[in-house]
This record gives sequence, structure tokens and C-alpha cells, in this order.
Amino acid sequence: METPLGHQHPLSRMISEINNIFSSLGFVFAEGPEAETEYYNFDRLNVPADHPSRDMQDTFWFRGKDVPEPTVLRTHTSPVQARYMDAHEPPLRIIAPGKVFRNEATDATHEAQFYQVEGLYIDKGVHLGHLKGTLEYFFSKFFSGKTEVRFRPSYFPFTEPSVEVDMKLLEGNSKLVGKWIEVMGAGMVHPKVLTDAGIDANTFSGFAFGVGIDRLGFMKYGVEDIRDYYSGDLRFINQF
Amino acid sequence: MKVLHSWLQDYVGPALPDAAAVAELLTFHAFEIDSVTTVADDAVLDVDVLPNRAADALSHRGIARELGTILSAPLVYDPLREQIAVTKTDRVTVDIADAAACPRFTAAVITGVTVQESPEWLQERLRVVGQRPINNLVDATNYVMYALGQPLHVYDADKFPAAHHTWQFSIRYARPDETIELLAEGEHGTDRTVTLTGTELIIAEGSSDTPIGLAGVKGGRFAEVHAGTKNIIIEAAHFDPVLIRQTARRLGIVTDASKRFENAPSRELPLYAQREIGQLILEIAGGEQGGVVDAYPNSIAATPVMVTLEKVNSRLGLSLTATEVQALCKRLGATVEESAADQFLVTAPWERTDLVIEEDYIEEVGRLHGLSNIQAVLPEVVPLREINKRQYYSDRMRTALVQAGFSEVITTTFQKKGDIQLQNALASDKRYVRQTLQKNITAVLDANSVHTDLLGLPAVRVFEIGTVFKRSETGITEHLSLALGARTKGNGYSPKDDALLSEGCAAIQTALGVELPWEGAAGTAELNVSAVLPELPTPQAYEPLPEMPTVTYAPISPYPAVARDIALFVTGNETPEEVQAVLRATAGELCVRQTLFDTFSKEGRTSYAFRLVFLSHVKTLTDSEVNTIMERVYTGAAERGWEVR
Repeated sequence: METPLGHQHPLSRMISEINNIFSSLGFVFAEGPEAETEYYNFDRLNVPADHPSRDMQDTFWFRGKDVPEPTVLRTHTSPVQARYMDAHEPPLRIIAPGKVFRNEATDATHEAQFYQVEGLYIDKGVHLGHLKGTLEYFFSKFFSGKTEVRFRPSYFPFTEPSVEVDMKLLEGNSKLVGKWIEVMGAGMVHPKVLTDAGIDANTFSGFAFGVGIDRLGFMKYGVEDIRDYYSGDLRFINQF
Repeated sequence: MKVLHSWLQDYVGPALPDAAAVAELLTFHAFEIDSVTTVADDAVLDVDVLPNRAADALSHRGIARELGTILSAPLVYDPLREQIAVTKTDRVTVDIADAAACPRFTAAVITGVTVQESPEWLQERLRVVGQRPINNLVDATNYVMYALGQPLHVYDADKFPAAHHTWQFSIRYARPDETIELLAEGEHGTDRTVTLTGTELIIAEGSSDTPIGLAGVKGGRFAEVHAGTKNIIIEAAHFDPVLIRQTARRLGIVTDASKRFENAPSRELPLYAQREIGQLILEIAGGEQGGVVDAYPNSIAATPVMVTLEKVNSRLGLSLTATEVQALCKRLGATVEESAADQFLVTAPWERTDLVIEEDYIEEVGRLHGLSNIQAVLPEVVPLREINKRQYYSDRMRTALVQAGFSEVITTTFQKKGDIQLQNALASDKRYVRQTLQKNITAVLDANSVHTDLLGLPAVRVFEIGTVFKRSETGITEHLSLALGARTKGNGYSPKDDALLSEGCAAIQTALGVELPWEGAAGTAELNVSAVLPELPTPQAYEPLPEMPTVTYAPISPYPAVARDIALFVTGNETPEEVQAVLRATAGELCVRQTLFDTFSKEGRTSYAFRLVFLSHVKTLTDSEVNTIMERVYTGAAERGWEVR
């Protein structure tokens, strides 16, 4: 038997595609650690200790004796925002794809580990319309068909205003066509997040978004169980 | 939170549209709706109140006010805008040890009540929001909490010692090892005694210094109301949100009250709640008002926020006029004062404790005006400033390995055993984080080696690129690792695997162009990619993406696959593809794979050997079922003159 070609994992394949789309707009691929400090994972995102907003994410903590400062398995890719802002001056545009962790029971739609991609755009005059335009561009490329985006009110500690983003595929053969689907949370970067990074929140504004890549795969490929991604089962992976 | 349509109507009045329209309005201007159901002839909306609105909107009045704002319709009854006329009493004393922990404590006396069942309408409302009716006094406290968002507690006044004919409340921190008897939680709970550490805030009976309640979390057994209760005291207070949250979490007693207190409802709310519950108790339990004490050592005035038209429009991407922005702020119930051209000083209505910075108002303006009015604008394209080296070389390695027959896996970061333990893992198999990828790769090889026929693979070849962790003197460090694995046999490692592995390693060597320090173990090889990256040239551009065919994933069958081999001499120069097509057609849908595994020619005749794999998505296939199909395949081959060997 000849050696058939191998298969790339759908998650890394989607990350490559996401990078391809965003790099065409000038968004830099940024990264940060999976073992993240409490400071970057929470405090710098306007999620103070003992605040109810901490309940939004169940967290895995490293043991105090193993780490010099409180450290978690990052609960989102958002800390990369703060790290990148610390190291770079605006204007800046980044995406930050990567693995994140939540301390919760697993089922077909929940995993204790999954992939997110963070997006951040900071410049003078950035507004919610730019967020809408960027996301419509992204979804249209990613799902290979014209896509419409709508916002609903939401709350995240690190954005103000915050929005929930729904998308609707307007064309193509996908069974998603014509349906509004809730895809992600987003908003305008909270002035405290900017100020804490030394960015003047009156001069600059920005949008940020975070989307589950696993969920994008549900829509793009019809994957039904998030655990399949992490099963290592080639009966799953070799379909891609 | 469960919200009754008829209850909203009490406040909104005839302007309230039907439940479906209410759901639509809230969804696009305020909150997500988890469900709308019908109970009797009423509708129940499950409203997902956003965390920043828990202070004012975890209540029927709060949701009603929100609807009034969206509809631009004033409420027909707003209990938070009623005139408060308090008759003071000096028969209750309140001693607050720390005004930061307890900024406000109010207590109202009602004498001569009759404890009985609540009227049916009130019981029904409580049931629908998920609260079990108990008696008219307790029900009244719950009812007013769901109505206005202020947690309340009712004490039997006659359980207090009759010292000096006064009721004495002391709000202080617990003493270490002090105990308190708490009331049962929920329908099936039992009373319990809790030992305190000294960080908790408690309500104590002043003359005896006995703890009678865990402030903001749970009432105590001490002055519980009962069937014979005649005289009562109702507590409505405000406690420090952080303190309440810490106590509730640490003791594992998260209640409707603690959830509200930890979100800092307004300090102005308690007296309005006293007014509401005073009226309700007189209506459903009789009795007489005996006056209110209002200890309010720590009040805060609402601070006006400067809102500028320019900023509102520049953040939302809209072109609203000053008049429009002012009108939207006023709809919220805020007072607006023009301070300069296109600049306003906006003061929130007192119950909206979430409105503290300009951006908060920008959000309000955006959602009330309608987020659908925001037009999509694509930012101007700028050149890419930087190529991510890690991503660039990861993709390069992926391409090389896929070419060499390796498939990519992504496995769990969590391990059952290891050296780096997590503080609080939920499950016993998630207690540690991985320090290498090799262990997971070996497990992946084990799991997949039984599926090679179904996969049509001569061997299992896999790789993973992922983060692993190390413990060091400075803490936990991490690096990017690449691991390869190969398996030729179903029953574990064999030396042949190493040859396949070397092909993978060679592919990586070629892709990266440097000597690589592989670490190997039976059938796997691992490389610290982070250590190699600095040696690699800085990429100038990402490589074009490989072709991405459209894929629609089909679920994996939970049933085992069955393999059968067939070898046959063809009559002429049929290609393997032609033979395969015939085999596929005659074998039918259950034959999911036909893999050519041998070809030879003898005396001018060609023989092909195929492995046919059968799989059902609904059951385990039996031998006789597969035999029947194979008979069909043999017949089909014979009809074409092919000689089955």
C-alpha cells in the first residue's frame, strides 16, 4: 500500500484560515502563555478579585507553592490584548488564537479546553461600525458566502459598550443559510483596559472580540460534539 | 430570572405589548430571553439579566422600567418614585460597627399581625418565579424582593429579650469560632449551625450579643417567625458587596439575597422596599405600622458624568444630534444638564448604580437608539507589520508532515498523573497538566491502531504541535512542542515503527533546515520547538494556504468495522479504479472502504487484492450479514469474467 497523505486537524486548519483572512487586513498574529497570571487574565481586563464578573468564567488555578504569583490556565485569549498593548504603541491590530480552559463539566457543547481567537483593533476613531464591517468581512470569507452581522446588547467587564454578535449567511449551500446564529461576544475596549496599558482612552478607541473556534467548526463543517476535536481519533480527523 | 407578564403589567400598564413582543424588545435593546412559556393565562419570560444590571434589574420593577424606557412610556405605577413618609420609632436601636461594611440598616416594626397562608394570587406569583410559599410574612419578604430587588428579612419581635422595651440590633463582624444557627435553605434543606471565622458580618441581638443573622446571606433561627407570631420587625439593609460575596462563597450559601447584595443594589432602595412591604403586610396579615428606624451612616450621592456628543458618535459610528442623545438619556430617567455646546452633565436615576462613566452612557444610547442602526464599515487595509514566527513554522511543519502521511491530532492538556498539579480540578483525570506530548501520542496510537482497515491506512502516523509545561525554580514555564508517533501493528510498538518515525523526522529536518535535538521513546519522537525557533530565519510572508476542500463531517459510527479481503484476476487491462468501482457498487452502502493492497501479474494476467471494510451506523454487523454481501460481490466479479482467487 502506498502512504496516503495525512490530514491537518480542523482546529489548526481554521486557525490558519483565520490568520490568512485577518492578515490581509493587517492584523498581526499575536500570542501569549497558556499558564497566565491572575493579573493578566483578570485584573488587567477589569475583572477585579471578589467581583461577580469572576463568576462568568470557572477557572483552573495552579498551586500557590508552584508559582511566584497567582497563576491560572488562561480562561480566554483576552490577556493577549493587555500583553500586546504593553509591548506596542497604537495603532495596532491583532488576532490571538489559542487554547483556553474552563473548569466545568464536559458534554457535547462544553469542554474544559477549547480554542478561541481574540481580535483587537486600536486606533483613532475606531467605532462599532468598524467591528461590524470587520466581522462581516471575516465571516463572508470564512464561510465562503456573503454574511450579515447584527448586534445585541451584552456585558463583558473588558468592553463598554459590549455586544453579542449574531451572523447570518446570505448565500451558498450550507444549511446555515438564512438563519441568525449567535457566534461571539465583542465590544469597544473598556477605557480602563486602555488606560491600564498606558494608552490614552480619549485619543484612542478600539474594538475587541472573542470567538470560539470549536464553535466556528460546528458551523463550518457540521461537527456536533466538541469532544471529537480532542479525541485524537483519526476517524474524525481524517475526514478533513 | 423568571418574570411574569401580568406582574410587569402592574407597573407598565396598558402600554405593555404581548409576551412575544416584550421578548423581542428586550432581546434587541436590553437582555437575552432564555424562554417564554405560558402558565395558566399568563406568560413567563426567563430573562437573562446581564451581570452589570443585577443591581437594578433582578426584579419585576427593574424589567418593567427597562421596558418603559425602550417603549418611551412612563410607568403607571413606579414604587421607586413614590413619596416616602417614614414614621420614626425609638423602640428600635441599631448599632453599626463598620459603616463601610453596612452603609445602611433599616428596620420597621409592625404589631398585631396574623400569620396565615398568603392569598392565592401572591402564592401563584411566587410559585411561578420558583419560590415555595411558606406563610404570608415570609412570602411578603420574597415577593417584595422579586418586585423591587431588595432582599428583606422578617424577625419575630417577641423573640427578642424585652430589655428596656427596645429592640436592639448590632451589626458587627463575627468573632472567631462564634456559631450561628441558620434557617433551612430551600424546600428540602435543614437548619444548620455554622462556625464563623471572624471575617463575616453578622446581625446580633444587641442586649445579649447573640448572632441572629448572617448579614446579607441568610437569616438565623433565633427570631424565626412561626404560626403564633404577633409582632414583627422587617430588615431592609445594604451591605458591602465584596464582603457578602466572600462570605456566601466561602460558606457555600449562595442565596437569592446574597446574589443581589453582591451586585451592589442602590443604598436608596431599602426604604422604598420598607414602604412596599409595609403596605403588603397590612393587606395580607393585618396589624399596625409601628415605625421605622433608618440607620444610614454611609450615603453616596450620584455623581454627574460628562457626556459629549462627539464621543458618543465616534464610539458608536453614528451621527446622532445633541437633542437625540439628550432625549435618550432622559428616557433612562437620568437628569441632563447642558454644560457646553454638545456636552451634557448626566446624572443617573438613583437605582442605576451601573452608570458611572461616559462609556456606560454611550452603551445606553447605542442600545436604546438601536444597535441595528450601526452601519458596517471595513477598516482601511494596512500592510502586515509582523509575521508570527511560531505560526509560520508550525504551518510549515504541518504541511511537511501531512505530505509524509502524518495526521495532526490535538490532545488534552490535562493528565491523570504528573508533577504539576492544579489547585482545583473538577475531575480526577484532570488533576495535572502535561509536561510532554509523548504520553498522549502513545495513547492516540493505541486507540487508532485498531481502526487501520477502516481508515485505509497501512500504519498510524500522527503528530501534535502544542504547549507543554515545566516546573522551574522561577515557577511554571511552558514551551511549544512537536511530537510524532507511528504504529505499524495493532498490538503495540514494534521496531518497524522507528523507520516510519524517521521519515517524519526527516520531513521536519527538511522543512526547517537545521539540526534538531529529538527526544525519542518507543514509537514517538518529541522536539522542543520553542528552543529551535530562534535559530530559524525570520519569515517575510506567510506561505499561501494549501487547498481547503469543502468538508461536511459525518459522525463516527459507534459500531465495529468488519474487514474482508478479495483477490481476483481480471480479464484484460482493467485498472484498479475500475475494479474498485465494481466492488463498491456490488457491495453496497455498508462497504465504506475498498483498499487496494496488492497487485501482481502472472502469465499475462493481472491480480488485484482489495480489502473491503464494512460498517453500519445503526448496529454491529454479523458475520453472516457480511458473508451474504461478499457472495454478491463474488457473483458480480464472476459475471465480469474475473476469477476470484
